[in-house]
Amino acid sequence: MSVPANLFLKAWADHVTACQSLFEHVIDKSSGKTAAPMPLPFVALWAEYAGSLGMSGKTQEPFKPDSLFANALPALGSSREYQEIGRRVLDLSRRFQQRHAEFLEQGARVAQNAMNAIQKRSDADATLLSSPVALYGAWIDSAEQAYAQAAHDEGFARLLGDLFNILSSLKIERGRLLEHVARHLDLPSRGEVDSLHRQVRHLTSALRQTASPPATAARKKSRKSRRRINR
Amino acid sequence: MTRAAEQFAGLLKDAAALQERGQAALRALHEIGDVQVGTSEKARVCAEGKIQLYRYAPLARSAKLPPLLICYAMVNRPYILDLQPNQSLIRELLYAGIDVYLLDWGHPDGADRFTGLEEYILGYLGRCVEFILEQNTVDELNLLGVCQGGTISLCYAALEPRRIANLITMVSPVDFKTPENLLSKWAQHIDVDLLTQSGNVSGEFLNLIYLSLMPFRLTQQKYVNLLQMQGNRAQLEDFMRMEKWIFDSPDQPARAFREFIQWFFQENRLIRGELTLDGKEVRLENITAPVLNIYAAKDHLVPPSASIPLGAHIGSEDYQAMQIEAGHIGMFVSGRARKVVPTAIASWLLERRSGKKSPSGP
Repeated sequence: MSVPANLFLKAWADHVTACQSLFEHVIDKSSGKTAAPMPLPFVALWAEYAGSLGMSGKTQEPFKPDSLFANALPALGSSREYQEIGRRVLDLSRRFQQRHAEFLEQGARVAQNAMNAIQKRSDADATLLSSPVALYGAWIDSAEQAYAQAAHDEGFARLLGDLFNILSSLKIERGRLLEHVARHLDLPSRGEVDSLHRQVRHLTSALRQTASPPATAARKKSRKSRRRINR
Repeated sequence: MTRAAEQFAGLLKDAAALQERGQAALRALHEIGDVQVGTSEKARVCAEGKIQLYRYAPLARSAKLPPLLICYAMVNRPYILDLQPNQSLIRELLYAGIDVYLLDWGHPDGADRFTGLEEYILGYLGRCVEFILEQNTVDELNLLGVCQGGTISLCYAALEPRRIANLITMVSPVDFKTPENLLSKWAQHIDVDLLTQSGNVSGEFLNLIYLSLMPFRLTQQKYVNLLQMQGNRAQLEDFMRMEKWIFDSPDQPARAFREFIQWFFQENRLIRGELTLDGKEVRLENITAPVLNIYAAKDHLVPPSASIPLGAHIGSEDYQAMQIEAGHIGMFVSGRARKVVPTAIASWLLERRSGKKSPSGP
């Protein structure tokens, strides 16, 4: 069984359309075309052919260009380093979103616990509801109490630590990207400035060691001279 | 009118009054403009990089005590100790006839990112001490360390005990791993190598952490209380001075910050006797000078349990602990603390003048 030639022609036309779509996505992210799955003409053709042979050739997930960069292909070519940075940033952003969602959940639980506490307090003391100042004060007390209980928990500390660590990693990746950009624009990079700082520190330290006499000796000398002046 | 309706009417009335007071406060705040802080007269006597050493002009006849060097924390600005004329620990000490010096760490920038604790403690602080000793032709001085500056002072005093006549620590952490220490609990899971790999740690980041310790009080209630001030100018100015100080947090030099978090918060090296600086072991038992340890009972940043253990670890036989019924910042600005703390420090130093040390129990 052979595949008709016109199918290949159609596949080629679809492929060109797909490339056009990808190009538009790259140059104009606001075009909204990112959400739509990109057509896979050759794969679709192969799937059709495989299907005619009684094999399940349908892809389960629609193809998206983002996933191509994030997971599918290794970083290749002249922009390899940028691709790697981009991939790490995507991964870190995803992890941050996950942990941040958990953090927000924690916040919602704290608010709920605080509301429950204030409900109990107002049930026990009806006058609480008659003054906005008293009610607000009670809310703050309850909220801080509920928050403190959560904040002292080991899980909360780990969550907070994860968020900080992910943000630190993102900052490092951003720095790496800026190093590249600075090099292209012939600007001093952070790495170059750091190198100079180290040299200056080394020189300052060496200079201090050679220039300053031991402090105690200098002070004794100063006291002797002061005594001489007094006489 | 039913009871519920009466209650609701009262609620609306209160809300309207609150709104009116708030508007008056906001109008007054617009008129205040910039506020002055750290107004006591002082002269810069020594400077090195971002570090500046100030000497305050005397306000009373000398009490003939060794000069007092105040070593404040690196994470905040030291003008909290001289916030305004009627809220100034420094001014009270000057009135007691004490010769006061202040070490100001300044605002570190990218050029300081590789400066470590060793340089800050034995280098900058050490050279300031030497300068003061030279200037006064004396062999030892009194050292007052505040908050993180207290921890730094303890390290210095342990390494250079002969330079210290008397040591005072205020709201200073010594044991960094106690159950009440929320900051420490959070610090255990922060990868501080990663945090400092891309440079200094911003003051804004640190502020965020401090606010997160009590978010509802520090980001909401405080400002609602501000609206209650009804346009009272003096109160509003006090508020604005404090507000200025709270958010005037310097960036932290990457290396020194990393070392402080790892060595103190995560590994608790100081109290375990495992800290070394410049190849020398920092042993608290080397501190033999008289020590006054002042801590705040309601401190949410440095809980009392972090400060109290000091007495059990130093070598001094003259140790006194003093608890003040205040919070961390209240230690410097609350009315109660202002009445007690400067007087206590001055009296304690005077009792130990000219080596006449009279140990008194806690």
